[in-house]
This record gives sequence, C-alpha cells and structure tokens, in this order.
Amino acid sequence: MREESASEFVSNWRRNAQALAETYNPAQEHDACGVGMIVALDGKPRRDVVQAGIDALKAVWHRGAVDADGKTGDGAGIHIEIPQDFFAEVVERGGDKLRSGPIGVGMVFLPKTDLSAQERCRQIVETEILAFGYAIYGWRQVPINVDCIGEKANATRPEIEQIMIWNARGTDEATFERDLYVIRRRIEKQALVAGIPELYLCSLSARSIIYKGMFLAEHLTEFYPDLLDPRFVSRFAIYHQRYSTNTFPTWRLAQPFRMLAHNGEINTLTGNINWMKSHETRLSSPLLDPYLEDIKPVVQTGGSDTAILDNVFELLVRAGRDAPMAKALMIPASIGQDATMPKAHRDMFLYCNAVMEPWDGPAAIVATDGRWVIAGLDRNGLRPMRYTITRHQMLIVGSETGMVKLDEQDIVEKGRVGPGQTIGVDLAKPQFYRDSELKDLLASRYDYGNWIKRVQVIDHIVKTDAQEPVRYEGEALRRRQAALGITLEDLELILHPMVEDANEPVGSMGDDTPVAVLSERYRGLHHYFRQAFSQVTNPPIDSLRETRVMSLKTRLGNLGNILDEDASQCDLLQLESPVLSTAEFDAMRAYMGNSACVVDCTFPVEEGEGGLRAALMRIQREAEEGVRAGCTHVILTDEEMSAERVAIPMILATGAVHTHLVRQSLRTFTSLNVRSAECLDVHYFAVLIGVGATTVNAYLTQEAIADRHRRGLFGQITLKEAVQRYKKAVDKGLLKIMSKMGIAVISSYRGGYNFEVIGLSRALVAEFFPGMPSRISGIGLSGIAKKVLALHRDAWQQDVIRLPVGGFYKLRRHGGEAHGFDAQLIHLLQTAVATDSYSMYRRYADAVRRGPPISLRDLLDFRTEGRQPISIDEVESITEIRKRLVAPGISLGALSPEAHETLSIAMNRIGARSDSGEGGEDPARYQPRPNGDNASSAIKQIASGRFGVTAEYLNNCREIEIKIAQGAKPGEGGQLPGIKVSEMIARLRYAQPGITLISPPPHHDIYSIEDLAQLIYDLKQINPTATVCVKLVARSGIGTIAAGVAKAKADVILISGHSGGTGASPQSSIKYAGLPWEMGLSEAHQVLMLNRLRHRVRLRTDGGIKTGRDVVIAAMLGAEEFGIGTASLIAMGCIMVRQCHSNTCPVGVCTQDEKLRAKFTGTPEKVINLFSFIAEDVRSILASLGVRSLAEVIGRTDLLHQVSRGSEMLDDLDLNPLLVQADPGPYARYCTIEGRNEVPETLDAQMIADAAAFFERGEKMQLQYSIRNTHRAIGTKVSSKIVRRFGMKGLEPGQLTVRLRGSAGQSLGAFAVQGLKLEVIGDANDYVGKGLSGATIVVRLPPSSHLRSQENTIIGNTVLYGATSGYLFAAGQAGERFAVRNSGAIAVVEGCGCNGCEYMTGGTVVILGPVGDNFGAGFTGGMAFVYDPENLFEKRVNPATLLWQRIASPYWERVLRELIERHVAETNSRYAAMLLHDFPLVLPHFWQVVPKEFVRYLPQPLTAPELAAELA
Amino acid sequence: MPERMLQFVHLPQQMPEKRNVLRRRTDFDEIYRQFEPDEAARQASRCSQCGVPFCLIHCPLHNNIPDWLKLTAEGRLEDAYEISSATNNFPEICGRICPQDRLCEGNCVLEKGHGAVTIGAVERFITDTAFERGWVKPIRPHRELALSVGIVGAGPAGLAAAEELRRQGYAVDVYDRYDRVGGLLIYGIPNFKLEKEVVLRRWRLLEESGVRFHLNTTLGKDISLETLRQRHAAVLIATGVYKPRELGGPGVGLEGIVPALDYLIASNRKGLGDPVPAFESGLLNAAGKQVVVIGGGDTAMDCVRTAVRQGATSVKCLYRRDRANMPGSMREVKNAEEEGVEFIWLAAPEAFFGEGSVRAVRAVRMRLGMPDASGRQSVHPEEGGHFMVPADLVIKALGFDPEPLPVLWNEPQLEVTRHGMVKINHRTFMTSLPGVFAAGDIVRGASLVVWAIRDGRDAAAQIHSYIQQSAQLAEAAD
Repeated sequence: MREESASEFVSNWRRNAQALAETYNPAQEHDACGVGMIVALDGKPRRDVVQAGIDALKAVWHRGAVDADGKTGDGAGIHIEIPQDFFAEVVERGGDKLRSGPIGVGMVFLPKTDLSAQERCRQIVETEILAFGYAIYGWRQVPINVDCIGEKANATRPEIEQIMIWNARGTDEATFERDLYVIRRRIEKQALVAGIPELYLCSLSARSIIYKGMFLAEHLTEFYPDLLDPRFVSRFAIYHQRYSTNTFPTWRLAQPFRMLAHNGEINTLTGNINWMKSHETRLSSPLLDPYLEDIKPVVQTGGSDTAILDNVFELLVRAGRDAPMAKALMIPASIGQDATMPKAHRDMFLYCNAVMEPWDGPAAIVATDGRWVIAGLDRNGLRPMRYTITRHQMLIVGSETGMVKLDEQDIVEKGRVGPGQTIGVDLAKPQFYRDSELKDLLASRYDYGNWIKRVQVIDHIVKTDAQEPVRYEGEALRRRQAALGITLEDLELILHPMVEDANEPVGSMGDDTPVAVLSERYRGLHHYFRQAFSQVTNPPIDSLRETRVMSLKTRLGNLGNILDEDASQCDLLQLESPVLSTAEFDAMRAYMGNSACVVDCTFPVEEGEGGLRAALMRIQREAEEGVRAGCTHVILTDEEMSAERVAIPMILATGAVHTHLVRQSLRTFTSLNVRSAECLDVHYFAVLIGVGATTVNAYLTQEAIADRHRRGLFGQITLKEAVQRYKKAVDKGLLKIMSKMGIAVISSYRGGYNFEVIGLSRALVAEFFPGMPSRISGIGLSGIAKKVLALHRDAWQQDVIRLPVGGFYKLRRHGGEAHGFDAQLIHLLQTAVATDSYSMYRRYADAVRRGPPISLRDLLDFRTEGRQPISIDEVESITEIRKRLVAPGISLGALSPEAHETLSIAMNRIGARSDSGEGGEDPARYQPRPNGDNASSAIKQIASGRFGVTAEYLNNCREIEIKIAQGAKPGEGGQLPGIKVSEMIARLRYAQPGITLISPPPHHDIYSIEDLAQLIYDLKQINPTATVCVKLVARSGIGTIAAGVAKAKADVILISGHSGGTGASPQSSIKYAGLPWEMGLSEAHQVLMLNRLRHRVRLRTDGGIKTGRDVVIAAMLGAEEFGIGTASLIAMGCIMVRQCHSNTCPVGVCTQDEKLRAKFTGTPEKVINLFSFIAEDVRSILASLGVRSLAEVIGRTDLLHQVSRGSEMLDDLDLNPLLVQADPGPYARYCTIEGRNEVPETLDAQMIADAAAFFERGEKMQLQYSIRNTHRAIGTKVSSKIVRRFGMKGLEPGQLTVRLRGSAGQSLGAFAVQGLKLEVIGDANDYVGKGLSGATIVVRLPPSSHLRSQENTIIGNTVLYGATSGYLFAAGQAGERFAVRNSGAIAVVEGCGCNGCEYMTGGTVVILGPVGDNFGAGFTGGMAFVYDPENLFEKRVNPATLLWQRIASPYWERVLRELIERHVAETNSRYAAMLLHDFPLVLPHFWQVVPKEFVRYLPQPLTAPELAAELA
Repeated sequence: MPERMLQFVHLPQQMPEKRNVLRRRTDFDEIYRQFEPDEAARQASRCSQCGVPFCLIHCPLHNNIPDWLKLTAEGRLEDAYEISSATNNFPEICGRICPQDRLCEGNCVLEKGHGAVTIGAVERFITDTAFERGWVKPIRPHRELALSVGIVGAGPAGLAAAEELRRQGYAVDVYDRYDRVGGLLIYGIPNFKLEKEVVLRRWRLLEESGVRFHLNTTLGKDISLETLRQRHAAVLIATGVYKPRELGGPGVGLEGIVPALDYLIASNRKGLGDPVPAFESGLLNAAGKQVVVIGGGDTAMDCVRTAVRQGATSVKCLYRRDRANMPGSMREVKNAEEEGVEFIWLAAPEAFFGEGSVRAVRAVRMRLGMPDASGRQSVHPEEGGHFMVPADLVIKALGFDPEPLPVLWNEPQLEVTRHGMVKINHRTFMTSLPGVFAAGDIVRGASLVVWAIRDGRDAAAQIHSYIQQSAQLAEAAD
C-alpha cells in the first residue's frame, strides 16, 4: 500500500472535514496531557530552571501521542520569561538602538505559504502596536530545525516569527502588559476581519514568551535551538505535552497558552461559554473599561477547552485579579468536600460561588500572571500533580514524579496537590505558599464573611409550614394530564416509586421503542433530548458516594459584574435546590413580590398551529419587557391551560425565553422560574434546567401526588412528606444526570445545553436551543403544534376521560408504543432456532422488516439499481461471516451461569467470540470439557469495578474489552445489592456473599485519554497476545474520541447504541441517554478515516441487531464486527419479561435463583442456529447486491439510501449526515492490521531476558535496575509469563525479586502475581499495584534521603485499584483514592489523600498517618486501621457504610502490630519503627474501620468478649 | 420499595376453590367459588409484570391484564375495575367463560413451570366486586346525539356495540327474536359456568343506560331491515350463528338425536323458570338416560356437563381427534371428567340404531395423519375399528352455521360468503349495504364470546366514525 504524502494528507483532510461538516465538529476535539512547572524559589532567573523544564518534557513523552510517522506529536511547549539580554542583542545586531525598558516580544505564527497573507499579517500586527502608541524594534525570524518534525507537522507548520516592541509610551510594566493584551485582542480581531485566521500570537508580552509546536516533547530544543542559548534564563518554566484526539496537527492548539497550561477537560464548557456570553454585558473594570469592546468576545472561536479557559483566566487577571484568585474563582474547591476547612476559606469560596459558575471538570492547571506562578487541581482532584522541592531552591511540579532527575539527598520535600488545592510562588517576594497558606492569604484580603451575609438564603422562607395546596381533582386533573400525554404508566411506574422510595425507579434490558421522531404516538419534547455523558476523555462522578463535591445550590436574580470585587456581588437569593414544591414556589413567589413578572405560556386553541409561534413571540416579548422594566425574576407558567387554551411544551417556552434574553444581553439580570404541567420525570427537570430554567415547579405532578395521597396510596405519610420524597428523588436524579458528564455544580450545568437532540428540526434548534447538535433534523414548530393540538382536542372534547394506559416502558396494545421485540417476533425466533428452520427465521426477519420504524436504519434500504446479483454460492461462507459476530458482554451475575456458559460454548464452537461481561469467570471454565467444549469467554471484560479481574483471568482470552460505558446507562456505575451476591458471585468477585458490590461510574485509572492509553499499555503487558477493545457508547463527538482511542493503541473500538441492554438501571437512563449506533458508528468510521486511523483499528457495533439486514447496514455504516445480545438471549429462551433486576427471571436466563435456573432451556445449538441464520441472511443480501464478502461493503454508504423521511408532520428527516463518505485516500475502509497494534517494551523485556534461569528452571533470582518515570508497568509482562508458566499460586512469594532505584513510572506492578517481589528505592507514580494479583511491592526511601517518610508523598493516586491479593508496603504517603476497589490486597502506607479505601470490598489496609476527605465511601468489605493522633478521622470518614472504633481486642491488636512490624522490616521506615517503639502509647490513637455488612465475616469479634464484658 | 409483584417465586398458583364434585353434579350453580379479596390480591401478586406481556397479546381484547393484576395486588380494586372495564364491556363474563387456558393464562410466561397467574378468576373478582360496591354505573353520556343506531341481535357482539355507541351519546335500539337479552350468554351457556343473574344485571344496566330493547322481534318477519335502515343512522347485524351442523349416516333421523343448542336452551329456560314443553316431555331432558354427545368443542362440553346435572345414567363424548387436538378448553374437559363424563377420543359416529327412538351409536375408530400446512392433523378411519355405544339421547354438538339471512330477511343485496357469513369490509365493518354493518359470529363464524365483544367494540368505533363522516359530508353539502 502506498502511503499518503504529507501534503496530500493535509489537502485530503481539509476536503474530508468539509464533507463531514454535519458529522464532525472540531469543537468536540479533546486533549489531555502531561503538564508541570519549574520555579526558582529564590526569585532569581536561572538557567537550570529552563533546563529542568526541557528535561521534564523529555520524560513525559508517554503522556502524549505520536503519529504513525513517529515524529509528529500532538504538541508540546514551554513558557518562560523573556531573556532580555538575548533579545537586546538581537535588537542591536539588527542595527536598532536599544531603548530603555524591557523589550516586549510577540511570538507569532504566520501563514506559511501565502506570502501576501503573511505580509498582511505583519501589517496588522504592526498597525495595532503603533496605533496604541508603542513602537517596534523589528521582526525576527525564529531559527527552527524542521528535520526533527514529522512531515505532517511540517506540512501544517506556520511561519514562526518574533516581533520586538519598544515601550515608547514609557508606561509601567503592568500597564504595558495590559496594553499588550488589548493590542493582541485587536490584532486577533483584525485577522478575522482580514480573513486570515492563521495569524496567531502564542504570546505577546514584555515578561514572558511561549515556544510551542507540533513536535515530540523531546525535540523541543532541537526544533527551537534558541532554548539552548545559556542566556535563556527564567524564574519559572511552564511546560506541557499534549495528547489530542485527532491527528491533524494544529500548531496553535499546542500548549501552554498565554497564562495557563492544563491537563484535563472542562466538562461544563458549553454552559460556561454561554454564561460568559451573558456576563459580557455587565463586564466592567476601571483598568479595562476603555477597551472592553476590543476585548469582547472574551471567548474566542476555534479554541480548545483549555484555550477558552485561558481566555477567561486572562480576562480576570487583566482586570486586576492575581493568578491564585483567578484560579479560586474559576476552579474553586468544594465547600462540602473538606470538613476541616477553616471558616475564612469557606467564606471566600462562598463568595467565589456567588460571582461566577465554576469551570468544572478534571483539571490540573499551572498558570502564571507574571508575578505569581501557581499549580492547582479541581474539586474532584482527578488529575495527578506531584511536587518536589530541592535544596537548590527549585520547585518542580508535574503530572508525574521523577520527571526531573534529582539526587535524593538534594530533595527537601515531596508532596502532591490535592483536590481543590493550589500551591503557588510569589516571585516578587519571593515566597512559596502551600495550599493552606495560599488560601489564608486570599481569604485575608477582604471581609468575605461579611460579604456573603448579603446572600439571601431563602430556603427557610420557602420551607414554610404551609400545607401543600391542592387545586385540581378528578376530571379537572385528568383532563390536564391527558392534554399533556401523561399516562397511567407514568404515574404507576415512574411517579409512584419516586414518592414511595424517594428514588428513581429501576428497569432492565434495553430501550426497544422508536426514536421519538419516528414514533406515531405523542412524545413529549423531552423525548427528543438525549443526555450528554462522559467517556474516556473525562470521567463521570459518583453522585451517590462523592456527594461532598456535588451541589444543587441555585442562585436567583440579578448576576453582577464578574470583574468587581465587592460585597454587592453577593446580593442574591439562594436555594438549596432548583426543585420547588408548589407550596415552596408560592412562598418564593410571595417573597419576590413586584420583582417578578409572570408570563403565561399557553395559546388559544382557535389560533390553531400558527398560535404556537405567535405565542412564543409573545412570551419572549413579555419576558423581555418584564426584565427591562426591572423585574429580577421571570415566571413562566402553563397554568392557564383550559378547554380554550393549549399548554406550550415548557421546554420550548423556556428555551425560547432563555435564548431570547441571552441574545438581548438580559439573561444575567433575571432568574427564570418555570411552572410546568408536563414535567414529571427527572429527565424533564434536567432538560428544563439545561435549557436555562433557574427553578422548576412541577405543579401538576404534585397534583397527581396529592390525588394518590388522597386515595391512600402512600400509606400513612402526609402529603407534605410525599411531595418532599418526590423532590428528593428529583434532586438525586439531577445530581446523577449532572455527574454522568462529570459536572458537580448545577450552576455550571444550567443553560449548558448538555444534550444532543435527535429529531428536532435544525431550524427549531437553531432558534430556541442554539448550539445543541441536531444532526438529522426532524419535527419543527408546526409539527409540534399539530401534535399538541390533537392531544388537547382529545383531552378536552371527550366525554369520559381516562388516562391512556401507556406502553412506553412495557408493551401495551391500546395506544401503546411500538416495541422492537414483540410477542410474535419472540415466538418466531424461538421456534426457528429450536427447530433449526431457516424458513421460520425468514418469517421472523421479514416480520422485523415489516414492523413500524423503530431505528434510524429502518428508514434506510439497499441501493440495488445497477447492481448485478450473483449466486449465493459465490458469497463467502457462513463460517467466515459468523467469525465477525460477537455475543456481547453480559455479566455473570446478570445471566445465570447456565446461560453464560451456553453462550461461550456456542460462540467457541463456531470460532466466534463471546464476551464475559463484568464480574469474573470461574477458572474451572479455562479447562476444556470432556466433550471438547470450551466454556471460557474469548473476550474478557474489564470494567470500572474490576471485579474478578486477575492476571489469570486476563491471560485466558483472545481479547480484553475495556468497558468504558454501557448503552443502557452511559456515564453511570452500578450496584449489585447484597441479596443478589450469591456464594458463586462472591467467590468470582473476591467478595463475601450478601455484601453489596459497587461499580464506580468511571474507571478510576481512566480520567482522560492518556490514562486510557496507559491502561491499554498495561493490558498489553499482562497479556502479550490479546487484542484490546474499548467499548464506547454512541454520542456526538464519538468520532474524535474514537480517534483518540485508536491513537492509544486500541485494536478494536466498539460503538454501542443507546438501545443496549442492562440488568438494572434507572429508567431515565435506559430511555434518555446515548444515541443510536447508526449515528455513532458512522461518525466514528468517518472521523477515523479523516484522521487516517481507520485501517489501524477494527470497528464493532451492537445494540438491537436482530437480522442479517441489520448486520449489512452496520457494515455499510462502517462496522466490521457485530454484537448480537438481546436476540441471542431470546434464542436461549428469554421472553423479555424485563425483570432482570428482580432476580425472578421465570425462564432461568437472567437469575441466580437455583429454582429458576432449573427452568433454563437454552442450548448451544439454539444459539449457533441464530448466528448461522443471521450469517445466511447476510449472504443472501450480499448475493443480491452482487458482492462476495462482507469486507467489500464495509463503509460503502453509497449502497444505502434513505427510503422514508418519516411522518408528514416533520420538517425534514435527513439521514445524509450518516451517509456522507470521507475519502480514505490510499488506505482501506477497514482494519488491515494483522494481529494487534503493539506497544513499546518496558523494563520487563530486559527482566525477562535476565531471568532466564528463573523461567526455565524456577530458580530463585534477584535482579537490580535503575529506573525512571518512563519505565511503566514494571513487572506486568513478567507476571504474564509467570502465570502462564507457573499459575497464580505456583511460586513462593519473592521467588523472583527485582530491586529498582529511581522513580517508577505509572502502573508499577500492575496485575503482578505471587512469586514476584518489586522493591523500589525512590518513589512511584500513579496506579501502583493496579489489579495486584499476589505479588509484593515495596516502595521506600533510599538510606541517603533526608526526608521524613510520613510527611512526604511516595506513591501516586489510585493505588491498588482492583487488587485481588498481594502486599504493598510504602514508606510515605499515598495520593488520592488509595486502595480504591481493593478486594484482597494487604497494604501499609503512612498517610493518604482523599477518597481512600473507596468501594473497597476486601483486604486489609493500615494507614499510619492522616487520611483525606471522604474516606471509605462505598467501602463494603475488608478492614482498615488508621492512625489518627490529631483526631481528624471522624470528620473525614464517609460514614454511610462503616463502623469504626478503637482497637478493642488483643487479636486485632496483634494483626495491626504484625503488619507494622512487617512494614518496618520491608521499608526500614524510621517513623513506623518509632510507632512500634511507643506502641502502647500510640495504640489508643488507632481506629479500626470495618463496613457494617462485613462485621459478621470477621474471624474474631471486633471487641474481645472479655473487654466487652468489662465495658458492660 | 418492597416488591409487591413477582411473588410467583414464593406463591404457588391457586385457582378459586372448585365446589365438591359430588355436590356440584347435582345442581346448576357455578362451580368456582369467588376469590376472597386477600386471596385475589395474593394470586394477582404472582404476576411477573412482563415487558412483553403475552397474556395481553393473546387476549382478543388486549386487556391490560398486568395493570389490573398489579392494582388488585395493591388492593386498589376501583382502579383495577376502571382499567379492566376500559377495554372490555363484560369482564366478569369473560372471567367466567373465556377459555383462559388457551388465551391469556395459556400464554402466561409462568404457565410453564410455575403455573399461570389465575387471570380469569381475578378478572371476574374485580368486576363482581365492582357490582357489589356500586362502582358500576349506568352510562350517562356527556351529550345526547340526535342520531340512533339499530342493532340486530342482543348477544355479546350486539351488546358490546350498544354500550360503546351509547357512551358516545347515540340512541341505541337493540332488536332480538328471543324474549331475553344476552343471546347465547343467556340461553346457550349453562348456569354452572355463567349464572344467569350475571347476564341479567348487565341487561338491567344497559336499560338504565338508556339502551332500548325490542325483544321478540324477528327480522324479516316482524320488521324489515329496510325499515331499520330508514329508522337509524346505521344498523349493525350481530345475529350470531344458530344453524346446527348436521350429522350424516343411517338412522340420523331417529328420535332422541337432538341439536345441542335446542338442548341447552331448553335447560337454560328451565333454569330461568320458563315452561319448556320439550323438556317436560323428556325429549330434551337427559334424566335417566344414556347420553352420547358428539363433538369436541365448548358446546359439547356444556352439553355433557348439563346432562350429568340432569341425572343422566351415563354421559359419553365422542370426538374424532384426540385430547390434544380438541378445540374445546382443556380445563372444561377436566371439569367434565371430574363430574363423571367419559371421553371417547378418536371416534366418529357412523350410524344410529334404534326403533323410532335412538338406542345406540355405531362409531368407528380414527387415527391422526400428518399435520397439513395449517398444522392441523387430518383424521382417517381405522380399518375395521367399529364399536357400538348405547345411547338414549344423542346430542349433536358439531358446530354452527349461519342462517341464510338474505333469504330470511328478503334482502338479496346483502352479500354473504360461500359459507353464508355476512361479507364485510374488514377495516370498516360495513356490509355490501351502505350504513349496514355486521359483527360477531355472523361474520367470523362460531367463535368465542371474547371475540364477539372485540368485534362489537371495533364495529361500534367504525359506526361512530361513519356517522361522523356522513354528518360532516351532509354539513358540507349544506
């Protein structure tokens, strides 16, 4: 195959990107990275600072990605101070006279090839500088060496020049700096006017300069030889290595940006941008007022999330905030997080929250304002940040420890930055501030405590004793409900449990109803909105276990000028939650008095369809007039609905008013309070708030609650209590929906349009919900009006009014929704597979085809014109086709063991693959059965819970699937209640029967794309032959995520559709999250081709695939492998009872109940028949198209055409965005890689070579090496070899001992097994002992170190994640999430960060120092001992599942003591030895922590009987 | 939430108690006792609340069974009644006489291995309770329309249509040749399955709702179809099928060989207290006789069990296929067997012996052939497999055919099928005569009551939209 040249790549890329305009949005690009800074603590510019920055960059290459050419990086750069004498020489050499004052330098990217444009750019730059009154020394062409960069990077490279400026106005430094900012903004605007967006200023400053570009980090100085000049000295160096999800080299997006560099992602970006637009109206600052029009828009287009963050950060700084305060405002610590937070800090953050919406999402930032350099984390602390201080007054901060090589003796402090923390250096003083010192400084500047008293917390006002009012009963209520399409199902299945349990109801299996736009029934507007969720590039949050970072606090009223710094900014109303009961709303309304205006959101029936638009215009006008008249609160309500007046869908009304007020620059002057009759489920609330509502009152739902209460359906509780429970369910649901996309704070979610629309007309979306993706268009205003009017007519004109029974969740015939699998199809399919009858299968497949449209593919058909059919005999065989079919991951735990094994046996028999799902697999299945059957799943899944994931499990498969998200509940974790944890499940999951098991929403070792690359790396080490698959759920933007995943060396990407099944999930997640796979798959396929990655990765899809036709369409949309889940369950006897979550499956498919399992009638033969029929079906379609193999149609969307445009009511339904094709250039449209994408070797290659005697003869050996942080996953590949050769328990502990000196890279000892012992003398990064499977890991200080071990961080974040057995001893503190999901390892450390022992289910952990906040959240098994001399533990523990007490039994005292003794023996910890020495004195300061559920499994009681007697 | 449903895992199936067989064979009272409320709730709570409820799918009315089961389990009987009555005009009747084992219960996912939910019994319980508590109210239409609809036949199809049309506000006139309302419900089905009071209270309710009944009115004799067409905005033919299928063979004309319906009507009339000469004469009374019933459908089951109760010395049922292939309800077979009926499977009558009056039936053994395309097995006589069955009364329960309506009514324009069924457009339910509709057995042939109700409801909806459209057209013409 011919490779594409770089220039061809560039031109093809541009053309393809154009073609994919509907599919691919560059704004969805993600990036993440390694980041850090070096600071001179003596405040003197130093060469060694710059040199250390350069060195550090060379040691983070693995956090970036490299193009296939091996040279084009995703971007790297460094931000340092301007070496004035260097530039002075340049000026003088250029023949200019050097004037007094510092030289301002602009680092400018100019268009490279278009010389006239280049010239025009120079003109613009010069003009704006001169126009401001400054003068120019001249331009300097920056020396570069293009040999070291890749062809693609070179093809897109700008012309790089520097402009040198003389402070001709003689202004002071701060003013000069600010003026240069204004000049830069003017230049940027002029460039846009001139149509030369290529013009880009990396920096324009008299203080500092940024060198960046698309080279590999290690080539920084090769590309920019300037940096080698010894005159390049600086007091700080901020450096950054980028990992981007695309492959198109974009030079300007390399970091650092003007002020900051960032590792992570801003999840609230759309909301922040929207609110920033609104804030612009009121921006005012004495420093910037003359230039505000130049500066606006603050957020510049075409930027990445970091660039935008930088834009706003810069604005705050230029308006007078220093960097630490700007960080506190934008990325504040969570007030709820830190139980020990001093009041002054709390007050300050309350003030910050009153000023602006937090920029939320995983973030490690380093930033400078010229005087300060800071490094900080977001509230969740999801990115690593370690620091070291040396004897030579140097501070080294970075994503990893060990990036700069140091002598251990020179280190005086090693630490880490925790969640919400910031450290900083005031270069002017110079002084280093640790987190609490910095916060003290900020908090002392103003009397924030007094300021925030002005925030009117109105909860006590709205929470009156007033009875909940009741306004509608009987017919009046029913007609209103009917007019809004409320069904009995809504009331019984959704509303009732919300009141009864204060929780959202749970359902199971997938959503098989039509996409709303295809339905023939009325579907509320909320059905068209799909919730956004996080996957790969950012993590979701656990809203249940990590409540301390979450907040629904809602500010109402007039939002002020964010650039102010005074008490008036706190003049706000504040509520705990945006969800209000009717009584609460009435009270709030009364409190608002004249400051509120009420806008009626109904229209007269007689106006017909046109009435809707007219009414929306009126509503917008009335709201605007209200605000202009000074109302600080707008109330939208549909209470006026009646026989004569139709209610407008409140989502539409809210969107209309919100956008209108934003466009009129009025939104920040008012709150938007919505009373909606239609609003009932959590999703509706989320949509209302997401499109701009400040508060919501679901008054008619409350009437329904009152009605049921009146009828005694809620037992003894009062109506008020019933309403409060409903409200609680909604609050929890809102937190869950926000957390799904990693948003913790509702003010950043509000108006953020964190949805994707399917099936609303593009025009409507552009008008009322601007910026929300709506790729296939659909129903418009007139269609909505028609539907609403029809419903209204039925509701108000019928004589007796009965609510429809429903049918959206469960199939009903009377007016119910269509369902993909109905009774007839189930029957036909089961008969077909039981009788091996292809003709019966045909009847099934034909019936599927004839059914009403449910999926987008139902609107597509094959384009047969001009195609010559061939004989079916010429088409590839059934056996060939079946190999592409997969039985997707359904866990043992959901499925009965019988069903699970039947699937594996069937798939193995036909040479295809089944997926184990989460939850482990019985090792007995790894041995073939006597009849030759193999019950081992060929694909082993690794999910966020890591249940049952051991080295052995991972070595018994051909593929490892990383389940990032699941179609039925993307962005959510799961919980297996104790009652379902049977003996067998407990054994496979390394837990105890009857104990609740929790899967966290994110993988705690994947918070961003480079983390995923690391996990893939680890997995490819632990199984050197298996391919790795990454399972994603379709959403828009999945294309760029897929590109990132491909760059992370995945071999397969699975795109799951929204219809995917589940064993248990909240109903609103099953119904309203994720997209059809048709959309996700085509996007992924196209964007992978665009990026020239498609031929290096296989695409698989699943979600409701039922027939050969589905398979062929999926192939044409870009898939080469196909998962068939629900249909294979049905083949085994499933009849879609949809009670999987109840453990009562009457046919024994999805249950652990012995009695029910006995009813299982599935056989491998039935499953094989299904897969064979589908393959045969595929063959006949291929034959009819004249095609010989499935591979030939992959990506051939030209063979598809849209045959239906949906109902007449729609404006348009346009599937063309799915059918556009990117030109693949010289590459195939499918994967051409044989085997797998290999990853580089690590130290293990050497270790394996050196340990020949051990592997060949089992001889005991000791090896010794020096290591750096670039040596990752040490011991993992060796473990694979051990487990394959000797088994999990075949060796004595420590039979192979490896001693390592230095800083270990990430994933030290990942999945390492018994027989291996790793001793690190130095420190280690994140993920130590990930999945530990029996090995011993020791991390300790070198004898020469001067550090006090207990005060310093020695291992990183997320240590022992998913460990099942083994030992860890670390003489120092661990980072955040220590021992998360540990289910068996035993460990001793000397302190740990936040969220320690989270989700732990087994093992024993001894922590000889302080723990961070939220300790033990979701901790359900195992034990921890915590040494707490300062008595802080009880403030930091998450008490939900735990018991804790002082040690009260000699048995447990001995256990603890022995572990500490072992720790001392392994690590030589002086601190631990001291504790032992004083043991009787320190023992009373220990806590013993045990989950309540776990107590009964302890071998000895917590309190010894004799002591208990004594106490009694 | 404590799970109230899905209790099948712990709770076994429990039908309402059947009365002791020795007692029940001696009277005509219903054999199933009604559920006690907590028993009904417990049994309803066994429902699995399926995502794809097969019970509902296989119910001709698509009753929302899982919903009212849940409501019953929660003790919300009034809500349950509302849901149940929304899709079915006579749930208490269906609950009693539907062959649930072939419909809802037979398709219940719990049927295999757990025992189906006792859907029929719960259904009956709900509406009986509703009657007891006074929740069943006469229809009071929101507005009275100035138009009327005429319905011929007061059987289940006609009554269901009458109720639906009355609900819309039409004046409804029902014509029937018998003296009571109910059709086969009143005269065909024996009391021990459906006590007459159940039908009578429906009659009363319909009258209270304003439906006008014109009884003892035979079309073609007392009144013509033409008159009805002039009198009403639309006419619905729901006469049912009454013509018995005949037996062949020597001796078929002997006395004592009677049609099933004559036999059942006589018995039912007797039960209602009417004077019935043919019963008094002994012609249609099985007391002291050896009875042979020929046929394997539900009518045959009704006959054998009536004969037992009348005091027959023996009751035998001859059917040419086997137990698995009979059309009647398996549950009824079981009841009949308990009550002492002897089934002779795979046997067909060949000839009847006797002098003047029948004394014996000669039957031939049959064997089943391969299934045909429809899946039904054909039957063939065995060579030399003859045997004699003594019989004093032979009841022919071989099914029913339509009477020749075009002839009887002198309406040659009314098109019928080859088999004499009234031809309709299956979407609109309209016959070849504009404004004349037909529904129920007269269209589909002898079938279940539940199908008649379904047809009646569907036809009513079509009649409504026909009248609305005509009215709109008329308005437009003005």
